[in-house]
Amino acid sequence: MSAAPPVAPPARTPPVSVVLKDIVQEYPADSGGVTRVIDRVALTFDKPGINMLLGPSGCGKSTMLHMLGGVRPMGVTTPTSGSVLIDGVECHGAHDDAVMVFQRYANRPDLSVFDNVAFPFRLKLWKSRVPAGEWRQRVADMLKAVGLADKAGLRPAQLSGGQNQRVALARALVLRPKILLMDEPFGALDAQTREEMQRLLIDLYQSWPCLVVFVTHDVTEALMLGDRVIVLSTQPARVADDFTVSETRPRSAAWQRSPEAQALEERILNQLHASPGKGQVRVTL
Amino acid sequence: MTEFWNPYVAPGARQRRLLGVGAVLALLLLWSAVAGSGLVSPTKLPAPWHVISAFGYLAWNDGQSMLLTATLWSVGRLLVAGLLVIVVGIPIGIVMGAAPQVNAALSPLVDPFRSAPVVALLPILVMWMGIGEAMKIAFLFIGAVVYLIPMVRDAIQAVPQSYWIGARDLGATPWECIRSAVVPMAMPRIADAVIVAFSVMWTYITVAEYVNAREGLGQLIQNARRFSAWDQVFAGIMVIIALALATYQSMLWLKRRLYPWETEQ
Ligand SMILES: Nc1ncnc2c1ncn2[C@@H]1O[C@H](COP(=O)(O)OP(=O)(O)OP(=O)(O)O)[C@@H](O)[C@H]1O
Ligand SMILES: [Mg+2]
Repeated sequence: MSAAPPVAPPARTPPVSVVLKDIVQEYPADSGGVTRVIDRVALTFDKPGINMLLGPSGCGKSTMLHMLGGVRPMGVTTPTSGSVLIDGVECHGAHDDAVMVFQRYANRPDLSVFDNVAFPFRLKLWKSRVPAGEWRQRVADMLKAVGLADKAGLRPAQLSGGQNQRVALARALVLRPKILLMDEPFGALDAQTREEMQRLLIDLYQSWPCLVVFVTHDVTEALMLGDRVIVLSTQPARVADDFTVSETRPRSAAWQRSPEAQALEERILNQLHASPGKGQVRVTL
Repeated sequence: MTEFWNPYVAPGARQRRLLGVGAVLALLLLWSAVAGSGLVSPTKLPAPWHVISAFGYLAWNDGQSMLLTATLWSVGRLLVAGLLVIVVGIPIGIVMGAAPQVNAALSPLVDPFRSAPVVALLPILVMWMGIGEAMKIAFLFIGAVVYLIPMVRDAIQAVPQSYWIGARDLGATPWECIRSAVVPMAMPRIADAVIVAFSVMWTYITVAEYVNAREGLGQLIQNARRFSAWDQVFAGIMVIIALALATYQSMLWLKRRLYPWETEQ
């Protein structure tokens, strides 16, 4: 199954850079002290690409993702120390050029599929950025691209989990963001739907190649999608490994069984097992 | 036949209707028996057929309908007060729910009134506003708005944070999050609050029309009581119950039409 080809012509994405400088994140611990969740992480993303952030559950992936221009958890200062630079400007909290896709699709039950995808254009920010005549067309094109053109009038409750996640993806990409943050977006889906969604993401990425930071704890997902795979250790999270995968997408099942892919998988699992901890990673197949 | 002691299995629609109608009929029967037996004097308990004929008299007598006039007056007062409750109460409730500081400041002023004897305010209102229409409207307004405001506030606070975060992430200003994400998600419960407010006003209408009303259902009952026309008192009370029920049902129907998604999730 392949999604309908995106209608928008292959667009040129604007240059983008995101720099994490010696990020440390601590949370108050039950014992009264502090728990260090992220320990001196330094990362640079300076070109479009799909970057996979892989780590055992609870290691601090979401926390790190939120720092890249997402809305941060309330009541705590993030990061505890270090800084985040987006296009050279220090970033605190939500950033206009970064859009997040959550694991639990945050679709509005009261709005139709079309209105869910068009929701951002009700906001001052996007009204000022996108002319009134343009966004309707963009939404319609986007719905076609995610294969929901015939479902535009339905409400989220009338869609499946996978279709709901397509809506969430459409709402993010209709904005043509510089930075797309994805927090285990397909984690709640069954294996087959997850694969469909991964293929869809690849298609969408090809028509809008932006800076994607994709959090997962699925080793296979990381290898099938990533231009770059960043492996985090268990708490406190450090960068345990950071490598690129040059195989072109979509990557075949044959590639997945190739010595190259097997070696990469081995490498990731060794890293994760080398860092003792309670966290779990998943290998699908 | 479903299990008797099982609160999770609802009886079928037919069985439910049968049981409901049956209970009403049983009560009517009991009432007729007690009134017909002569055990209770008709001045204390008018028989159902007397109430029906009193209803007929009120509905049409001497070329006019006292009941219709009274109903129109009462409904009119209710609508004016209800409009005020909506226009004033909903924004206050929304602001209280959306801004914790405002809630902290206002809730000690509003919440105690839910358990305060609002009826006891009537003499004070009479002292301040006289015995005209303004006093009656104000009484209905206060009686209902003290229920509505906390309910609207709670409706806002019950909206899952994820919708707020989702909007914020898309670049909404905090106020836009409230206006475009939180309030729309709270609307079904806000509608519930409006429905409760109207129910409360129906219960207060007789009190509101107690003092110096020339027209209205409360006055009609009051007047009948003065002449010990208990059959008319009963008829008047039943009309109020019927109107309150009709208001409730039609508002509920409207709410379900407006927010069909509420029950879908
Ligand atoms: N606001 C907070 N206060 C205290 N501790 C927190 C807070 N937010 C997160 N943590 C802790 O920080 C650690 C990392 O959390 P985070 O959600 O970033 O992990 P994650 O890698 O995304 O996990 P998962 O794979 O389960 O999504 C966890 O141990 C969590 O308990
Ligand atoms: Mg997480």
